[in-house]
Amino acid sequence: MRLLTIIGCAALGLTVGAVQAAQPVLIEGVKLVSASYRTDPAVDVLLRDGRIAAIGPQLSLPIGARAIDGSGRVLAPGFFNSETHMGLTEVNSVPGTRDEQSENDRVSAALRVSDAINPHSTLIPHNRMLGLTHALVQPESKTNLFAGTAAVIQMADQDTVINSAAGVVVTLGAQGSKLAGGSRAVSMALLRAAVEDARDYAANRAAVNAGRRRDYSLSRQDLAALAPVIRGDIPLIAHASRAHDIEQIVRFAGRNKLKLIVSGAQEAWRVADLLAERRVPVIIDPIQNLPTAYEAIGTRLDNAALLHSAGVTLLFTGMGWQNTHNAFLVRQSAGNSVANGLPYMAAINAISRNPARVFGVAGYGELKVGSAASVVLWSGDPLEMSSSVEAVFIKGEPYALQSRATRLRDRYWARYGTSN
Amino acid sequence: MIKLRVGLLLPCLILGACGGNLTLPPLGDSRSGQTSSSAEKNRQTQASAPNKRKQSGSDRAPFGSSYEAPPSLPTLISNVNVLTGTGEQLQGVSVLLQSGKIVSIDDAELPEGGVIVEGNGRWLTPGIIDVHSHLGVYPEPAIPSHNDGNEIVSPNTAKVWAEHSVWPQDPAFEKALAGGVTTLQILPGSANLFGGRGVTLKNVSSITMQGMKFPNAPHSLKMACGENPKRVYGDKGGPATRMGNMAGYREAWIAASAYRDKWAAYKKKGKSADAPDRDLMLETLAGVLDGEIKVHNHCYRADEMVNMIDLAREFNYKVTAFHHAVEAYKVAPILAENDVCAVVWADWWGFKQEAADMIRENAALVHAVGGCAIIHSDDGIQTQRLLQEVAKVMQAAQVMGYKIRGADAIKWVTSNAAKSLGLENEVGSIEAGKNADVVLWSGNPFSVYTRADMVWIDGVLQYDKQQPGLRATADFNLGILKPAEDRP
Repeated sequence: MRLLTIIGCAALGLTVGAVQAAQPVLIEGVKLVSASYRTDPAVDVLLRDGRIAAIGPQLSLPIGARAIDGSGRVLAPGFFNSETHMGLTEVNSVPGTRDEQSENDRVSAALRVSDAINPHSTLIPHNRMLGLTHALVQPESKTNLFAGTAAVIQMADQDTVINSAAGVVVTLGAQGSKLAGGSRAVSMALLRAAVEDARDYAANRAAVNAGRRRDYSLSRQDLAALAPVIRGDIPLIAHASRAHDIEQIVRFAGRNKLKLIVSGAQEAWRVADLLAERRVPVIIDPIQNLPTAYEAIGTRLDNAALLHSAGVTLLFTGMGWQNTHNAFLVRQSAGNSVANGLPYMAAINAISRNPARVFGVAGYGELKVGSAASVVLWSGDPLEMSSSVEAVFIKGEPYALQSRATRLRDRYWARYGTSN
Repeated sequence: MIKLRVGLLLPCLILGACGGNLTLPPLGDSRSGQTSSSAEKNRQTQASAPNKRKQSGSDRAPFGSSYEAPPSLPTLISNVNVLTGTGEQLQGVSVLLQSGKIVSIDDAELPEGGVIVEGNGRWLTPGIIDVHSHLGVYPEPAIPSHNDGNEIVSPNTAKVWAEHSVWPQDPAFEKALAGGVTTLQILPGSANLFGGRGVTLKNVSSITMQGMKFPNAPHSLKMACGENPKRVYGDKGGPATRMGNMAGYREAWIAASAYRDKWAAYKKKGKSADAPDRDLMLETLAGVLDGEIKVHNHCYRADEMVNMIDLAREFNYKVTAFHHAVEAYKVAPILAENDVCAVVWADWWGFKQEAADMIRENAALVHAVGGCAIIHSDDGIQTQRLLQEVAKVMQAAQVMGYKIRGADAIKWVTSNAAKSLGLENEVGSIEAGKNADVVLWSGNPFSVYTRADMVWIDGVLQYDKQQPGLRATADFNLGILKPAEDRP
């Protein structure tokens, strides 16, 4: 309670934020999340100037720093959900709150979700106070194979978008077939055309602008948005479920020297060795084990464990379809992947270190001196549903454990005036 | 009408608006070339024999249950910690299952010819009951051909029965079993003011719906408040508003009351009079007025729940439960006073306006004022781990300063759920005389790392993590799963 109060005051204070650096914090006697945290010695962790400034036994409390008792608690990187619409929706059935889809066929890859992300969404404090500090915000295909350009956000009050071009999202499989016109093979033909056109456009901009070039399959803006993809600077994020669809896009990316991430990937375990060999990360929700579509008929709860043992880099989303409003539940999906054979730290890394590396979020995702102080203090194992968040820091900034939901809770709980 | 795009969701929420133009690969040889394991064969023999016998008999009422528990050996589950479902936690006891019933707890000895299962300090709970499921009526794969859960043709389809849509081969049933779910209430969807009758099933392998149907369980009537009916029928003659919804219910109950009176008068006169015409829709509603059918009412908003309680008072019926009751916490004392259960998710929200005011402590607040809280799934993924959903509510409540013991919270998916189905004397708790529906867990039942090790229904071992294929997998999986392959 003491801790909550302190953090609450700090975050509600008027001066917190960009105006002045956050007060240094010393978390005393805390376990760092690891496969062996239960038997590891506790350490002190100093957060200063937005970074983890020191880790060690018995650190001294710097002048002006605040101490937090970490005993019995576990410190972990804030978690990262790799497939969300965070900031692009408030109430799904209210169209005016939704921004993840282009219905204009002249805007596909050029839809940059970062233009639309609402940093004041009520979803952000809700997920942040429950342990999520980062998310990949993906657009969704509506009229075109290419959905748009994804962004990485931190769940902070300021500087929410930290990478506005994290990858271009393309939809393959059954949905891609429908969008492309009747066959997966049409999707692949359109994809080939788009890559060829993007290359041609990049090499002949002046001629294009002078009207001396052939017509393209996509608008100029879309081709420009694909430029970093064909250069291999940012990944193509391909949604595919069926093993053969995954194999096709992996080989296509290889031939065209594209960086690739496969999202969805229910049958990825069937092609795990290929994904590992080509170093293609996958974004999966490891709890998906129902054959919801014919293309996901091979889905299984140990997809994550099988992929990991083959050497594939895992990025998690979840849980289930509530991967935006309750994006924090990616930790529940991660916990269940451990229940189904994934090593503990592989699960933790799939919601912290791995997406940080894949999407280039410098310094975040690990508990090391010099890492970003985007960390969460848990009452126990961060993958257990019984564990609670006790403190959230993003780049050293403390955040109140409050949301619209807790305000509602407090109003009604007070009315029932309990003796507990 | 707004077409929601929420991933794999939820017949009940989006009214089966999923669809799409999937071209299905031919099933072709997927049904050939497979041989069952001996375990599978045994199980098939066990399960199908009684069904055959009963179905051929003429004593079974139309659509009545043909389920009979297969014979089982007495089973002593030794040295287990038990959450009884009645609020008790017992340490290191032995539970004896015999002839389909729980015979004794603690002082039991193994009868001759029985089997012993070493609990080794593991946890035993009642079988999990999911009171809001669409398994079988929205089976996997989620293709248009399988959209059988929502009769979106009229605001009042009280005439339809969900059981007539149930596909027993839905491969999701066995996944739910592996999550400890032994009893499910299968409901029609929520597009309509009156969606139709729900049915309670045992989670057993059967070729027929009748072979899964829980014997003598009352039917339920699915009703729906709020956004769904007015959205679906707003431009199809109404209702277009919440007040239109209310008028629609009231008109229907007036008609049902008259129908019921007509039949009562006929029965009083005896055979001399002409029987009134049967009306399937009014028959269902009259069943509610007679107290034979339980009202399970999809209703998110607090103010609407109270309107529905007043509606029930006007026509003298009882609301058993509000489902998806996201705002139950706002009227928790009123629900408790009227003995209406609040059937809720742990944390789902934001998919429509009436789901905006979710709090993670919802079930806890209902529980705190002495009400009946139930956690449901409405989802084939969520149903596989309902105890994790319970754990989330306990955690949220604890942060709020309200500690709920696991022994109490487990009622939300066991005894409270049984009560809402009218099955409180049969299932939902580990007590002598109750049906032997129990789950042995690999660890703390509320831990994310725990899985069901063994699941019994009526004393018959239906799931054993160590024996893949003990229960015959759905026909659908043949040619997809290898025989006896344990694909979790």
